[in-house]
Amino acid sequence: MEKQLDKILRRVQKPGRYSGGEWNAVRKDWQSTDVKMAFAFPDVYEVGMSHLGLQILYGMVNDREDALLERVFAPWPDMEEQLRNTGLPLTSLESRRPLRDFDIIGFTLQYELSFTNILNMLDLAGIPLRSADRAGGDYPLVVAGGPCAFNPEPIADFIDVFVIGEGEEAVNELLDAYLSARRSGEGRRDLLLRLAGCDGFYVPSLYRVEYNEQGTVHMVTPVGKNVPALVRKRVVADMDAAYFPTRMVVPAIESVHDRAMLEVQRGCTRGCRFCQAGVIYRPVREKEPQTLLRHAGELLCSTGWGEISLTSLSTSDYSRVAPLVSELIKQHGPAGVNVSLPSLRVDAFSVGLAREVQKVRRSSLTFAPEAGTQRLRDVINKGVTEDNLMEAVEAAFTAGWHSIKLYFMIGLPTETDEDLHGIANLARRVLNKGHALVRAKGRLKVTVSVSSFVPKSHTAFQWEPQNTMAELKRKQALLRDLLRGRGLVFKWHDPQSSFLEAVLSRGDRRLAPAIEAAWQNGARFDGWSEFFDLGKWQRAFESTGVDPRWYAYHRYEYNDTLPWDHISAGVSKKYLVREHRRSMEGAITPDCRNGRCPGCGLCTTLATKPYLAGGETVAPLPDTVQ
Amino acid sequence: MPRYRIQYSKRGSSCYISHLDLVRTLERAFRRAGLPIAFSEGFNPHPRFSFAAPLPVGVEGLAEVLEVELQEPVEHKDLAQRLNGTLPPGLAVLEVTSVPDNAPAPMATLTGAGYVVHIDADDLPGPLPEGAVQDFLDQERIEVTRKSKDGKEKIRDIRPGILKMEVLSQVSGLTVQLELKTGSTMNVRPEEVMEAFFRFTGMTLDKADLEIVRTRLF
Ligand code: SF4
Repeated sequence: MEKQLDKILRRVQKPGRYSGGEWNAVRKDWQSTDVKMAFAFPDVYEVGMSHLGLQILYGMVNDREDALLERVFAPWPDMEEQLRNTGLPLTSLESRRPLRDFDIIGFTLQYELSFTNILNMLDLAGIPLRSADRAGGDYPLVVAGGPCAFNPEPIADFIDVFVIGEGEEAVNELLDAYLSARRSGEGRRDLLLRLAGCDGFYVPSLYRVEYNEQGTVHMVTPVGKNVPALVRKRVVADMDAAYFPTRMVVPAIESVHDRAMLEVQRGCTRGCRFCQAGVIYRPVREKEPQTLLRHAGELLCSTGWGEISLTSLSTSDYSRVAPLVSELIKQHGPAGVNVSLPSLRVDAFSVGLAREVQKVRRSSLTFAPEAGTQRLRDVINKGVTEDNLMEAVEAAFTAGWHSIKLYFMIGLPTETDEDLHGIANLARRVLNKGHALVRAKGRLKVTVSVSSFVPKSHTAFQWEPQNTMAELKRKQALLRDLLRGRGLVFKWHDPQSSFLEAVLSRGDRRLAPAIEAAWQNGARFDGWSEFFDLGKWQRAFESTGVDPRWYAYHRYEYNDTLPWDHISAGVSKKYLVREHRRSMEGAITPDCRNGRCPGCGLCTTLATKPYLAGGETVAPLPDTVQ
Repeated sequence: MPRYRIQYSKRGSSCYISHLDLVRTLERAFRRAGLPIAFSEGFNPHPRFSFAAPLPVGVEGLAEVLEVELQEPVEHKDLAQRLNGTLPPGLAVLEVTSVPDNAPAPMATLTGAGYVVHIDADDLPGPLPEGAVQDFLDQERIEVTRKSKDGKEKIRDIRPGILKMEVLSQVSGLTVQLELKTGSTMNVRPEEVMEAFFRFTGMTLDKADLEIVRTRLF
């Protein structure tokens, strides 16, 4: 088979995506390793290799004596064609083994538009798509985790077990449970029951879902002993002591983020009401600067990367960011290592940081005010004012940048055309500021990039409908008109893919046949504009009798059972209701980082608390609605 | 700054690393080995590597040539050992020598390359006629069309660029040894030669069936 694989590798565009053999890749002895797991990333190599979660789990599992973890990525269409033509199965990168030979296949669910790639990978591996069809045979256990596992329902029929929340501890428990089950000769169903009893494991086949006549979910009932009615997310309590991979695999071909990643903290407590990550990664847990410096040194030494990126949901919020950045530059700058900050807060402080790390101002600076008026920014609880933005761009232009990117979202709840005018006005104010401050006026550029709001589970906006595609297109056209002129660039995101994202984000189990049909119609890499084709999906929805508009445009009521209500992110529904109400009143809710806990309920529910490296911690309130 | 000529091999999974990615891979290997490479000046500094001839993706190289400038002198053996400790599987340093400051770039002195090309028995379009290679070489001209960068097709005579062509084995498929002109004056690719050869014998060849190894540069 090696030989055959080499033959097809000569026929694909980028064989380095499949050949393996990268620096720090681990190849263990197959025969003598007890449990074999594959980490399956349902997107192309260059995307998957930029994912920190992969590196963490890869290092952790391979550090165990009794387990191995190998990687597999979604084959690009040219590779899929070769595999289908030759009948070769999908194989892992490390030992080039068929996926079917593994005990466990773990998919990561980073975005909904990768669901068809999951089906495609299972199919190319010769594994039945539906968990019910795997029940009888000797197939690998198909596990999935990641942000989209917080509404696992649309793909519940395809996955045996979901891991809800952070994977560091859960993956070890999964492997241990697998080994114990095997030692005691348990069958597949026993193993599933065993896992369902562990914290954070959701076994969808052990839940019965009933629906109301109006189409909403009536009830979700666990079936079987020890199957919990509510599955709570896993949280790593002590981030500072948590495993961190300092021997990351260095990609063989240039990847989206081809640099060392240093996770400075997990979680973000700003509480933007549209943001799912802000909820599912709560509470905020910072790492100690000393730990980070040690990890950075080891990481750079073991990988040879010339750049280190400080990752997190909002790195400039990390309380020790300034001393950390200067110390990193002091220690590694002389060896030519650059420090990069992927996300900047909208303020002068962040620009100062960017200035420190970027000696040459070659790229543009990006800020995300998200909405064009203060009213709407209050609705979404984005604690950014126009003054913050003007201060930030002033600092940027003064420091020598001449290109600014502004990110906004359109279609947010309560949005009117006035808010769109607000976007254009903000952009013009920024441009005018540039005219006053930038010397090379010809190079001055303000880019406005808009994406469309997608209501996500577990957020204060989970009940909200999405704007219709026609409405989003109208708003985009309006903005395009408002943003004409020298120095302004307008970019937008295809509303069709945002629509599908909303359907899949808010969907329930009745979507499974449609997802499968879309895959059969050839849907692949739906997150890639060059492949995305809503037509394939529309035919799939029609042939399976699913109305996608209902899922995207339906307004849920507070007392509706939501398809994901049996999955808990730790934040109470009462709090989300309160946040939704406050948002409609335009009332802002402060960040719990600043010492006042607004009572989201998470800390008491999950027996955890925020941790700031600066020393201050927040005393969480009991789960009460004030 | 001291300049070194490194002879290395690129085999196995590393033959799928493209030339651009190889530059990145090497830069990281030097960093891991603690060997400080010299960088070019300017806006976008890049490591001072100079290759004799980029190797196409999927082709193995047994004795490739790279020159590198370092920020400080290192002993040849030390350089080779340290780098071998940090190169990913498939890449290996064979020999290190010093290059005088004023020596021309390795690309400028390159004239040819040796290859071994293999086709599996299953992929052979048919049995080779007796003396086919000699008849092929006896032609006055061997014309191939090649697309230039602007998309235009150009007909070229590659016969003067074929220095040697010899069948090594026909035991399991066909194995051919080639010596071809390579470099700035004339550049002939092994797959072009093989394609022309099969066309000459009246057969068509799928170039992707060729297993190509570059054995040496001269
Ligand atoms: S319970 Fe309070 S302190 Fe804990 S994450 Fe929620 S808001 Fe923050």
